[in-house]
Amino acid sequence: MAVSRTSSVRATTAGSFRPVMIGGCILAFVMVLAPLAAIVWVSFFENKIISFPPTGYTLDWYRAAAAMPQFRDGFVTSLKLGVVATLVSMFVGVPAALVLARGRFSGREAIQSLLLAPLIVPGIVAGAALYMFLIEVELASGVQVAMTFWGLAIAHSLIALPWTVRLITASLIGLDPQLKEAALTMGARPFTAFRLVTWPLIRPGVVAGALFAFIASFVDLEKSLFLVGPGVTTLPIVIVNYLEWSIDPTIAAVATVQIAIISAGLVVTDRYFKLARAF
Amino acid sequence: MSALAITGEGSLTGGRPAPGGTDRRRRSSTAGWLLFPSLTLVLAGLILPLALMARTSVAHFDAASPDLVGFTLENYARFFGEPFYLTILARTLLVALSCTAICLVLGVPAAFVISRVESRTLKTALILATIIPLLMGNAVRAAGWMVLLADKGLINSALLSAGLITEPVRILYTGSAVVIGLIAVLLPFMIISLQSVFEGIGDAYEEAAQTMGAPPWTAFFRVTLPLAMPGIFSGCLLCFVLAMNAYATPVLIGGPSFQMMAPKVFEQAIKVYNWPFAATIALVLMAVTLALSVASSLALQKRYGAL
Repeated sequence: MAVSRTSSVRATTAGSFRPVMIGGCILAFVMVLAPLAAIVWVSFFENKIISFPPTGYTLDWYRAAAAMPQFRDGFVTSLKLGVVATLVSMFVGVPAALVLARGRFSGREAIQSLLLAPLIVPGIVAGAALYMFLIEVELASGVQVAMTFWGLAIAHSLIALPWTVRLITASLIGLDPQLKEAALTMGARPFTAFRLVTWPLIRPGVVAGALFAFIASFVDLEKSLFLVGPGVTTLPIVIVNYLEWSIDPTIAAVATVQIAIISAGLVVTDRYFKLARAF
Repeated sequence: MSALAITGEGSLTGGRPAPGGTDRRRRSSTAGWLLFPSLTLVLAGLILPLALMARTSVAHFDAASPDLVGFTLENYARFFGEPFYLTILARTLLVALSCTAICLVLGVPAAFVISRVESRTLKTALILATIIPLLMGNAVRAAGWMVLLADKGLINSALLSAGLITEPVRILYTGSAVVIGLIAVLLPFMIISLQSVFEGIGDAYEEAAQTMGAPPWTAFFRVTLPLAMPGIFSGCLLCFVLAMNAYATPVLIGGPSFQMMAPKVFEQAIKVYNWPFAATIALVLMAVTLALSVASSLALQKRYGAL
């Protein structure tokens, strides 16, 4: 009797495990995805003042957003910054990854944490510090860097660097040195061995590193906040400045374009490199 | 199996010339050249600016000149002396802690389900649904919450037309809106930290516990969760740090009256142009975040051993 009662209690709590877990999972994804879904939906609304339900649907706001110079300029600046930051972070990050992947040596931990530090120091603190630093440099040397494209480029290269270093080091560590040695033993020249053996194996990590670097730069808000100036403003900052005054379907269209670009970039990255491994 | 591993290792070291003195020196000098560009970038772009910021925080503020003059603790005295700023610090801590707690409660089931889903397609889809928002940037998501939470937003419209309320409930521009917005921003970080840990633990331990008679909840709380403690801790830490430093969410959906630390740094540096005080707020923010992170990691290490 007692046994059957405990087992029935057990059965009811056991029965609640899966539904509770799945329910929590659904709630979590609703929280995460609802704002994105909402903004995409609103970008197609016909009425300029957002109200639910909409009076109808239109694509006009996309045309309106494309015609507004601040969004166009912000988009182009963010795109250029993303490319520059990705290139710089690859040029300085790949050599660093080659060293870090060699394995243990004294000071490795310190160097690694230094190179990943831009990811750990809060954006707002790092941005304020870089801004003050660049102004002091300007006062001392007369060269203006803050509030120019190149000031932003420094900040964005720093944002991108940890991603390239991390992902490329990870793919190099997974590499078996014997494969390249085998190619060399069988008579391949070093460059041929690299091109035919090493490169195909590390390519996923390099591509993922570059794409993550680009995305991290493209969406950055906090670090850029201090460094933007007249004529050089990034898209996320244009969006925030606009949102401080009003929210309408035009800004929703701009946000939707950003969502589309980043989603497409990540879906492509996932084919090369399982995204879950990047974190 | 172990014999194989040993032979493999033997051929690896045996195949190469033993690293002599000159060889090692050459390697370390190339290492220096290879590391030089990246370390220069981090030093010039982050470490030196932070050092200058520390110096700025103990300078005397003079509205007339941007030069750094004097050594004084007056900025810190002002921050810790004025209830206004202490309230902002306390509010930031409260928001960060509650967001972290809620993210943990929602993130555990989400990460657990992702790690135990059998269909590969569904798993990939869920991971993409986590990582795409994670890398989306905060501005876009804040815009989404503005649409959802406004007086004429989707939630109020739905509640009104369902007859559950007679006039709109004020959600946007309140503390709850900031907490909701931040949870949406931070949850993907929590899910991704926990998912990899649950994945690594595998389901063998749960199954063993259940075979020996533990009901699923007991197996989960007494076996799986303790094993996942390092991941839970790093996920919480990440959420906490990001929430402490949040800028876009409090500015856009908290409104002007709900003030937090990061927006204050910006205000003092750019709008008031009081750099010493901006530097002080930034460093207090960083120090409090760091101190709490270290303290909690020490406390957990005592409880659970090395993390």
